[in-house]
Amino acid sequence: MPAAVITARDVSRLYGERRALDHLSLDVPSGVVYGLLGPNGSGKSTFLSLVASMERPAEGEMLVFGAPPSSAAKAKIGMVFQENAQDPGMTATELLILAGRMQGLGGASLAARAVELLRTFGLESRANDPIAKLSGGMRRRLEVARALIHDPALLLLDEPTTGIDPDERRNLWSALLGAARGSRTILLATNDLAEADSVCEQVAFLRDGRLVATGSPEQLKSGLRRESVVVETLESQPPDPAIVAGLPGAGEVTISENGLRITCDDASALIPRLFELAPGAIRSVVVRSSTLEDAYFQHVGRRLETAGAAR
Amino acid sequence: MSAIAACGALFARDIRGVVRSRSQLYSSILTPLLILVFLGNGVSSGLQPANLPAGDFTAYLVPGIIVMTCVFSSTFSSASFYKDRDSGLLRMLLVSPVSPRVILLGKSLAGVFIGSIQGVVVLLVAAPFVEFEWRYGIIPGVFLAIFVIFLLNIMLAGVAQALASRISSIQGFHLLMNLVLFPLLFFSGAFFPIDGLPRWLEVLALINPLTYAVDALLLAAYADSTSSFLGLALDLAVLVVLAGGVYVVGFVRLPRLTWSGE
Repeated sequence: MPAAVITARDVSRLYGERRALDHLSLDVPSGVVYGLLGPNGSGKSTFLSLVASMERPAEGEMLVFGAPPSSAAKAKIGMVFQENAQDPGMTATELLILAGRMQGLGGASLAARAVELLRTFGLESRANDPIAKLSGGMRRRLEVARALIHDPALLLLDEPTTGIDPDERRNLWSALLGAARGSRTILLATNDLAEADSVCEQVAFLRDGRLVATGSPEQLKSGLRRESVVVETLESQPPDPAIVAGLPGAGEVTISENGLRITCDDASALIPRLFELAPGAIRSVVVRSSTLEDAYFQHVGRRLETAGAAR
Repeated sequence: MSAIAACGALFARDIRGVVRSRSQLYSSILTPLLILVFLGNGVSSGLQPANLPAGDFTAYLVPGIIVMTCVFSSTFSSASFYKDRDSGLLRMLLVSPVSPRVILLGKSLAGVFIGSIQGVVVLLVAAPFVEFEWRYGIIPGVFLAIFVIFLLNIMLAGVAQALASRISSIQGFHLLMNLVLFPLLFFSGAFFPIDGLPRWLEVLALINPLTYAVDALLLAAYADSTSSFLGLALDLAVLVVLAGGVYVVGFVRLPRLTWSGE
């Protein structure tokens, strides 16, 4: 097991009476892409801000590169914020140069690094345009390029692909992971479970500032049933989730936006029973293999405690 | 060295931002000049103020308008802290290894520089139209005026810094800057001489830091400074002490321009 780049021990952070982090303990090993997953307000961004030394924990101990957060540690960290950290009146090049100067870089090597990053992230032709004139996706890529200007050993990403289309997302991850996989530690805070499933080697599920599960996506999925059935129901006649949970073969039942999500090992046996239970109430049924999202729902999502007890 | 480089980079970036913001640049120069032209000529012609040390009201107004320009400029420059917070750029600066105080220093020095340049521009533009008498000779007089303008801007940057540390919204900041600094202009000798004012106004003028800047500029520019009741030595002493003191105090407590606003 590689040494931990980030070690949190019993860390709490309070905003007034609210506990944004509540006795959280976590180790992020070196060289991995580590996902922090949880609903809004679960403490993901707060944890990143503690790692970046922007805030101090109220309780507990936070070690970054084996020591309490410091200026020396900050020099090895790059951070992509949930909302872009950019002055729209500056050009892309000016932003990168300013970010480099803040990291103690300068001269021709900084200029060359800026050009290299603009090329890597497909912004070369817009290098001297005001940021205000760039598209949302371009600004997001620039945000990532900005965080990489000093080639940080630890990259903190707070919802890095929010608001960008799937093509842009793929390109961005390709550029992010291309050269540095294995040599740079990436801590990704996201709500996008599919994205985390595809890029993360380790993940942690947070809820209300607490750690509820951690492990590789495969480990977290391994305890799940093989399949899940997503049932879209007619609003006027929804089947009772507690009764659905009592059907033979049904696993966890969670309420989704338009219906129910039921885990099971054999969807072909469960689906006819659903139609028998709620004739005319089901609009559609989708069957799919279990994903990290199912593991997330199991640990973090609304959960019918009666369902577990029934079997 | 990297702190100086970071400070310099922030300084250059803020200067570039002001130079690019043409409307701010032009209005900050044109507004005081328009006041000078219209108010100065209007009062000179209409009221024929015979007691003014500079001969006519337009000439008398020049130092006051320079001080007013610097007051406005410091307000605008300090507002850039809030602009950077709202654009998110401040988070990028604060996540870097550079100390927050170095960040503030770079930005506030840019404000001091911009305010000083604007003050000097008003002086230069007014020069052909009014008869400066340069009591100490033209070159020493100009240097003295520039020095006073510089000290004034350092002091104003300190005041703005101190206010920004206690006010979280830009609206509140503008309101308080106007509430504090604008009235100070009225009894600083900027628009009318302090001599002969009611006693209570004279006392207010004496505890008003802007009074000493106006007085020093009047002394630098005009031979007849009989109305300047303070004297250059006292003016400079007050300005140096206040500029140094307020600027340092302004840095004791960092502005509330931090991380998430939570």
